[in-house]
Amino acid sequence: MRRPSWLLRLFLGLPMIYLLAMIGVPIVYNLAMSVQEVTLGNIAAFARPFVGLDNFTDSLADPIFRRVLHNSVVFVLVNVAGQVGIGTIAAACFAGGFPGASTMRGLLLAAWILPGLVVGTVWKWMFATQFGVVNFVLSALGLIGTPVHWLSDPATSMTALNIAHIWFGIPFSMILVAAALTNIPGELYEAASLDGAGPLRRFRYITLPAIAPALFAVACLVAIASLRAFDVIFALTQGGPLNSTNVLPLLSYQASFQDFEFGRGAAIGSFAFVMVFGVALVYVRTLKSEQPA
Amino acid sequence: MHRRSLLKSAAALATLAVSRARAAEPKKIALWHIYARDFDMIHLGIKLFNEANNGYVIEPRLIPYVQINPELIRAIATDSPPDLVVINDPDIAGYSSQGQFLDLTDRVAKSARINASSFYKGPSTSDHWRGRRYAVAREMNALSLYINDDLFRAKGLDPEKPPATWAQVLAAAEKLTDPARRVFGFGFCAHQSEQSTFQFLPWLWQAGGGIDRLDQPEATAALQFWTDLVRNGFVSRDVINQQQSEVINTFLAGNTAFAVGGPWELPRFATEAKFQWRVAPLPVKDDKKIEASSLGGFHFAIPKGAKEVDGAFMVIEQMLDASIFPQGWNTGGILAPRSDIEIPSPNWPQAYKVFRTQMITATQRGPHPQWASLSKPLQQAIQEALTGSMKPAQALAAAAAKIKPVLAKTPL
Amino acid sequence: MIRSRHVAQSVVAGACVAIYLFPLYWMAISGFKTQAEIFADPPSFFPRAPTLDAFRYVVERENMGRYVWNSVAIAIPVMLVAVTLSAMGAYAMSRMRSRLVDAALIAVLLLQVLPEALLATPVFIIFKTMGLLNTHLAVVLATSARAVAFGLVILRPMFRQVPYELEEASYVDGCSEWQTFSRIVLPLMRVPLMVLAAITFAQAYGQFVYPLTLLNRQDLQPGTVGIYSFIGTEIADWHRVMAFAALFALPILLLFMLLQRQIVSGLTAGALK
Repeated sequence: MRRPSWLLRLFLGLPMIYLLAMIGVPIVYNLAMSVQEVTLGNIAAFARPFVGLDNFTDSLADPIFRRVLHNSVVFVLVNVAGQVGIGTIAAACFAGGFPGASTMRGLLLAAWILPGLVVGTVWKWMFATQFGVVNFVLSALGLIGTPVHWLSDPATSMTALNIAHIWFGIPFSMILVAAALTNIPGELYEAASLDGAGPLRRFRYITLPAIAPALFAVACLVAIASLRAFDVIFALTQGGPLNSTNVLPLLSYQASFQDFEFGRGAAIGSFAFVMVFGVALVYVRTLKSEQPA
Repeated sequence: MHRRSLLKSAAALATLAVSRARAAEPKKIALWHIYARDFDMIHLGIKLFNEANNGYVIEPRLIPYVQINPELIRAIATDSPPDLVVINDPDIAGYSSQGQFLDLTDRVAKSARINASSFYKGPSTSDHWRGRRYAVAREMNALSLYINDDLFRAKGLDPEKPPATWAQVLAAAEKLTDPARRVFGFGFCAHQSEQSTFQFLPWLWQAGGGIDRLDQPEATAALQFWTDLVRNGFVSRDVINQQQSEVINTFLAGNTAFAVGGPWELPRFATEAKFQWRVAPLPVKDDKKIEASSLGGFHFAIPKGAKEVDGAFMVIEQMLDASIFPQGWNTGGILAPRSDIEIPSPNWPQAYKVFRTQMITATQRGPHPQWASLSKPLQQAIQEALTGSMKPAQALAAAAAKIKPVLAKTPL
Repeated sequence: MIRSRHVAQSVVAGACVAIYLFPLYWMAISGFKTQAEIFADPPSFFPRAPTLDAFRYVVERENMGRYVWNSVAIAIPVMLVAVTLSAMGAYAMSRMRSRLVDAALIAVLLLQVLPEALLATPVFIIFKTMGLLNTHLAVVLATSARAVAFGLVILRPMFRQVPYELEEASYVDGCSEWQTFSRIVLPLMRVPLMVLAAITFAQAYGQFVYPLTLLNRQDLQPGTVGIYSFIGTEIADWHRVMAFAALFALPILLLFMLLQRQIVSGLTAGALK
């Protein structure tokens, strides 16, 4: 480890200053709002009644908010596991280099460039109880007797949302993991092959440890991206039925732009901060175990 | 002296040049609207206004429907409002009660082109807050029943005599439901959004109830009626996640025999309805005989801080002109908010007649500045009852408890 | 034997990819259906009477070329800014180990939390103050910030995978720090940088809230705003929305297919070495 040079400081400083100006300032604006009473009447003014943590405590007292908070945690955990898990498996498989692997991988990316609202709408059709293709295929395969009320049953709606959202996110994890895989020295695999290790053992003992830091980074990003997911949910269910698929950003949007309670909207958004702060601390701790450069 | 006058005339010339340039360059009116389809009558209004050479020109900005409130709020928060905006009727009171829309009472009273007394009562009520007018209705709509004649006949029902009471609705829905052919008897929208409130209110009113009295037996009767229809399988359970247009989609696909819908759905019937259809008025509850429907529609408002207020009001006058509305109905299924407008030989004449009549019994939501705080508990109660997670009376009592403090602060 | 195993792998993978891509197929064929057929029960896996009406409507009425151009004109600068700034920052973070870096990392993660819907108002104020409203520059600057935050987190562990010995050798050869970074480290990071470029490009291409808020003028707006505008008042003409989305995604899909040799084949090479 050498002393940070002026160049490194500049390298770090430039993006940080840019980020703080472009996102830091808006975040402060929102945090300020979250401790104020903001109405349509005073939203243009900066001096607004200070209400302390009322917006936060009011939210916590609201059973709908507690349900939404719970949904958000479940949604994030399932999405991290699903997107990163499947993405890693896909990346590892495609790294095998069978014919057509790279073309297929290119095709997978297609899912990821579509607007979320379109993705959510397509899945809404596919999950429809009557005309939906999911039930159609499942019953054709004999897997279900009666149609599943995917989106109109609060017990299954979150599962449907998770499937749609994991689907949407897989390419992102896959391509990032694939990039990490490229940096593993090939000699490691050759040595392992000579030792007679099968593909699963090679994956477990060589690939996984080598890409672990990148996997953590990807998992963090997926967690954060899931925590602010909006478009897909808005198109799929708008949070229903019975708020069973409502999550923090959507609730915050509803508070601000449907109920016109901007302070509460900002406070709900800020809860996500606390959650990410937790994720960030864990992430930074994992870095301590990294070998010094 | 000579020199001074020369300067003077030069200055005069310059002023003249500037004013010429100003006359040649009409003032721009920023109009924010949501009408993506080019047959909507707003585009006719914009064209007529811009061709009139009245010193103004409209600069329209198309905003996605769900973004109109967020964009307007951002504009208010950043002090950069447009000159004119369209707004959904239950949202008006939220803005006008907070002083974010200009008071148009005097302008409307003085206007040579707008006659306030010609407006229907419903839209006019939505436009007012505490006796002052803050908006002008652009259109109005109401809910009625869409009937699939072919499916009715196939089950031995006479589409000439569509269900006119709740008992007849229930009986017809049962008879028309045909799981083998994958047909549901009836359809309405119970989506977790303002749309389910809009669709439920007529039934609530027909039962003699109101959103301020959800803990009364009238309200329970209405929600029980909806719940029975869904629980018995006469209405698809998916209606709790279908928007109004999606319910009509299933009707157009022949999978729902009759359904609740508004006139804005009509334009696509020509290409998509492969069967005989008609429109019928909403039913009445057998013992109450109260006719009721929900009133909807967008309105024009001039936000506080608009730069071209005079011009914006001229646009409103243009948009309310009788010349606009034939296209409004004939291409978009849009009805005039003015009772003095008759459309000669309208498109879909049978539907026109029914919807025009339905307007008389259509009532606006609110107006209330926190309409969403009244509407959301009701939406939740509807979803709780239809999913079976609560009994209708129980769900409505919970909703009433949430609504009570809001109404205590600001009564309806 | 190895060959037949490869073929089997291809078949299995191909089947998985086909299943995965089914929703895209569903989207694309919806553009060929009528609105009623989309909601028909049972579903039709192939349009009963395929019609180009929706595509024709979109092409005739919407300026697709302008929309795609605006989207690209936003996405390319975003990609360049994001890759440049995050490569610099991530390199610094990978070579420094201090509390400052920890703090910076936490900050970078926190900066990504709030959804654009909540950030749009203050971002609007920033660009109004700078007089940059109704310029692509504003959208580029706002969108890039998100991309940089994310690029920093992604690239940092990948920079760490570059062996430090290579750098030391370079210093011994008398290279400056800048030369070492630009001539030794960056070329080794070619694949991750390309992946980041592809991802940030795609993300910027799909951006919606910032362009909507910052660009009032329709002639400047990207295709996403066009798509969302289609989801109109009370009705959404979904077959047209899907036709629009398919047309909008197509150029990027083609671009990715053309470039995938560069982007993706690099990914395979490393693992096989």
